[in-house]
Amino acid sequence: MVSLLVSQNLDGGWPYQRGGPSWTEPTAYALLALIAQGSVVEPVARGLAWLHTAQRSDGGWPPQPSVRQSAWVTAVATMLGPAKLGKDAHRRGVAWIVRQTGEETSFLSRVQQFLTGNAEGYHGCDGWPWFPESSAWVTPSALSMLALRKVAPCADSAQIPARLDKGASYLLQHVCSDGGWNHGGARAMGYDARSYPETTGVALLALRGRDSPAIRRACGWAQARLPACRTSEGESWLRLGLLAHGQLPSNVPPARPPRTVQDAALALLAWAAVEGRNLFLEQQECPV
Amino acid sequence: MSGLNRREFLTGSTAGLALAGCGRGRGPQAAARREQLVSVVRRPDYTQELYGDLRRILAEHRMSVRGKRVLLKPNLVEFEPDSPINTHPLLVHAALEAFRELGAEVRIGEGPGHRRNTLDMAEAAGYFETIPGFEDLFTDLNLDCVAEVRLARPHSRLKSIYLAQSAMSCDLLVSMPKMKTHHWVGATLSMKNLFGTVSGGVYGWPKNILHWAGIPGCIADLYNTLPSYFAIVDGIVGMEGNGPIQGTPKRAGVVVAGRDLAAVDASCCQIMSIDPHRIEYLKLAVGDVDGLVRSIHQIGEPVESVRTRFELLPEWAGIQQS
Repeated sequence: MVSLLVSQNLDGGWPYQRGGPSWTEPTAYALLALIAQGSVVEPVARGLAWLHTAQRSDGGWPPQPSVRQSAWVTAVATMLGPAKLGKDAHRRGVAWIVRQTGEETSFLSRVQQFLTGNAEGYHGCDGWPWFPESSAWVTPSALSMLALRKVAPCADSAQIPARLDKGASYLLQHVCSDGGWNHGGARAMGYDARSYPETTGVALLALRGRDSPAIRRACGWAQARLPACRTSEGESWLRLGLLAHGQLPSNVPPARPPRTVQDAALALLAWAAVEGRNLFLEQQECPV
Repeated sequence: MSGLNRREFLTGSTAGLALAGCGRGRGPQAAARREQLVSVVRRPDYTQELYGDLRRILAEHRMSVRGKRVLLKPNLVEFEPDSPINTHPLLVHAALEAFRELGAEVRIGEGPGHRRNTLDMAEAAGYFETIPGFEDLFTDLNLDCVAEVRLARPHSRLKSIYLAQSAMSCDLLVSMPKMKTHHWVGATLSMKNLFGTVSGGVYGWPKNILHWAGIPGCIADLYNTLPSYFAIVDGIVGMEGNGPIQGTPKRAGVVVAGRDLAAVDASCCQIMSIDPHRIEYLKLAVGDVDGLVRSIHQIGEPVESVRTRFELLPEWAGIQQS
């Protein structure tokens, strides 16, 4: 936790790497990690103020304030919830996420896929892109699902549950042949591609509460990979994903040192989840 | 624009670059379509001789880099140290030493397209072991400050692009790709390697916005936009077949280098038995590929003596040179 605190920039945000400029993604993860630990008030307040300033008028967040476009980082920021972000900022963030789908789902793209006989195209499963006007991928889809899961119990329309179902279908349609997930290209030019630990972990976390042979197989892949995982980020997501399905082995301690602020924050979040506080899965309390 | 090609016009103008956060602009690069020197060095394996090779290459090209900031940009793709997927660390270290001996301040930077854990990947690829103090020399270009660069007359559908500030602000960007076939563009060499300068922190992993905007067009746009560069291609053991990730090793036994990335890539294509006239991004970037090929002044090994047929996926059979 100390490494997170000393990495905070004077502007209140966090960089990916100590000394760098503040970015939305590490700021949101650092805040989630500090909140999961409790008792750190002033840095959290400064971080939240940075996020407030960074939010764009369309409700989304840019990766960095200088970027003139909201992107996937909106999902991570929105996970902080209305109590921390403020009801209006949070509501607008959720609305932005709901509006996003992969460009392959657009009318023009679907017509093009139909005309070119592209069977790999749209399957009615709307995932989320990293950046608007591009395809859906596993990580932004899983993160967007996690953000929407938190508000689903209080949703006043069927839109959010429907997007969660479509997101789950998207993930399940992009499982690699070896059982886990990679970035989202399970096959290219007729060749199977291999899974990654970090994407498998975050996908499993987003699919908490769902069960299927594919999910059980993915848990098996994740369990086999955890002891030999070569990144701190991968280890953390695998722990969170396996824990979400009650499949985390008890005898595999964290082994990889965090290299970035985001790695450190995710390691703290995974540790807190093992200890019983999983901020990714805590759901919003609905107003009475 | 009579008398100036598009590249000279773009890189010579101060318009078009909006720096975000930290940094500054760049001066023009002199890269007219005049004679282009391309070095082809036979080197059958990754051995200590590479250090001498790189010194000789920089001398041949009369590199004047004293006091300049040089950024070496290798190609790091995956965690597979036994696969020819990443630029070999010994070649990168040899380049680092050669530029340092000329008085340059050298750093290394890369922004991989699929995996976020760049330093972990570099460690797995042997960079920590081979290059003393690697972590202090390295910048993850995906997480660097970003500069929004407006594209004046783009070949892709992009109007502007967010690039790593380190790539824009260095005095010399050295593209150090692996010689590989590529399932979307035929061959991935020093020009395609520029994708690693595009900010993953902005566009994600993969940088799919470049696919939607047209990969060949984006390669041409980056070639026309990035400031002064040099290319050193790792063709000692390359990749054929389903590159750039799932192909098989192919020993070509060469290092190819030069100031003009298009000339270097066209030479690499010829070494790989690929027709450079059929590489879309070369056509977009330089227009007259015939003129480009004619402008190349090869030094070192003649292409014919090192030509190595790289197998291609059936979809790319049409680009193979007979």
